[in-house]
Amino acid sequence: MTAATQMTPLRFGYLGEPRLLRGIENGALDLPRHRNVHGGIPDLNLQQLIDMCHAVSLAGRGGAGFSVAIKLASVRRGHRVVVINATESEPASFKDRLLMTLSPHLVLDGAEVVATALRSRDIHIAVHEESIAVGLRHAVAERPRGLRFRVHVIGGGFVAGEARSVVRALSGGEALPPGRRTLPTDKGVDGHPTFLSNAETFAQIASLVQMGVAGYASVGAHDERGTTLLTVNGAVEKPGVYEVPLGTSLGALLHSAGSHPVAGLAVGGYHGAWVTPRTEMPLSRAGLSKQGGVLGAGVVLVIDDSTCALGELARIGSWLSHQSARQCGPCMFGLPALTEDLVAIIRGKANAERPLFRHASMVSGRGACAHPDGAARFLTTGITALARDVDTHRRHGNCGRPLLGQLPIDRR
Amino acid sequence: MARLEIDWTRCEAHGLCAQVLPNVITLDEWGYPMIVQHKRSHDDDLTEQRRAVGVCPALALRVTREPTTHGQARHTRAPR
Repeated sequence: MTAATQMTPLRFGYLGEPRLLRGIENGALDLPRHRNVHGGIPDLNLQQLIDMCHAVSLAGRGGAGFSVAIKLASVRRGHRVVVINATESEPASFKDRLLMTLSPHLVLDGAEVVATALRSRDIHIAVHEESIAVGLRHAVAERPRGLRFRVHVIGGGFVAGEARSVVRALSGGEALPPGRRTLPTDKGVDGHPTFLSNAETFAQIASLVQMGVAGYASVGAHDERGTTLLTVNGAVEKPGVYEVPLGTSLGALLHSAGSHPVAGLAVGGYHGAWVTPRTEMPLSRAGLSKQGGVLGAGVVLVIDDSTCALGELARIGSWLSHQSARQCGPCMFGLPALTEDLVAIIRGKANAERPLFRHASMVSGRGACAHPDGAARFLTTGITALARDVDTHRRHGNCGRPLLGQLPIDRR
Repeated sequence: MARLEIDWTRCEAHGLCAQVLPNVITLDEWGYPMIVQHKRSHDDDLTEQRRAVGVCPALALRVTREPTTHGQARHTRAPR
């Protein structure tokens, strides 16, 4: 069920029938093999595509989970542009890199379907790593001429992968969130109306139009059909990318990934939230939000009881502080303050949670992008979910466990 | 409805806006503005807001008009 990829130490696997990860056990799918595995793509007009996305409640897979149907419908008329955001700046996530490396044509098919429906000829692909760009340029060269695919390597850290940072970078600027909030669908790359979404979203669109609504909807949660890619990372025996039907239980996923007894669980990545691990918890947007979690970019992070849980949290807090682009004051000063508050909690200071929650409320909603909001959510939900550890630290000044660094912070 | 919007990439915590609009803006512990009152703007409020925009040395403030459906604006005053 799991196979080691040649490109990375991370594995991939699936629960049930794979869709996006079909046919990649023996390595990357070139165009002929891709067509064998996935077939061709139909020509759809915009309304047909919107209807199909609407019928299965397809949500974007970059983190925000916005409705693909609504985004498609809101792209302004004009010289429309399509952008595949494959930057995957979240260090705990690997799904987009896996797709772009092993099944690039599925993503490119999805982009072609969208571009055709929007009557656009320009497709930009944004990645962070030259190694991924090389494979992509090769894949693009295999495809018949017609659409203009352009691969861009854009630099930068966590916030450089945010949609409007990517739009700005593709328009010749810095890969930083702009201060004025504009919608890419209205004014995107070079001012043109732009449909931008995450790489997996395009693969899902390709899968949807190839399978049809009924086939695509044959698995999934009742309010969101199909499968999703999850990166399981941290204290598990088989970290990697898993394709699962939406609504799959947390227990089934962790069983596949080989988890030790779970001492702490965060979902959605480093802009996500810590939740109380319950084996029956359904992995879907609605299922997780009922438990105070978020699906985000599909990251499931696990720590076990051999590491200092609060130390793990503070380590991520420090990393998140350093990922601030230092453009906006509340983020630039607030995230280090939050990290200091965490250190005070670790040292067992009494009532040390109060300044943490106060600082969290002071950074939320006060930046050009959602980095301060996401970071504050990750850190405050961590303190809430790890209440027992907070108590232990308060009573003893420590928990007696070493900080192992089970949560990944940077591969590069 | 008009409201004050802060461009956080420009704001440098000069704090003049809080002096012009003490009832609307307070400063956080680092000196950055916190809009404590997002209320509906009467014409005289709008004048004050425009003054705040004018005194910001970093050009970080704007008054934006939010589109509201007809008749809705009348009822949007926040309960106090």
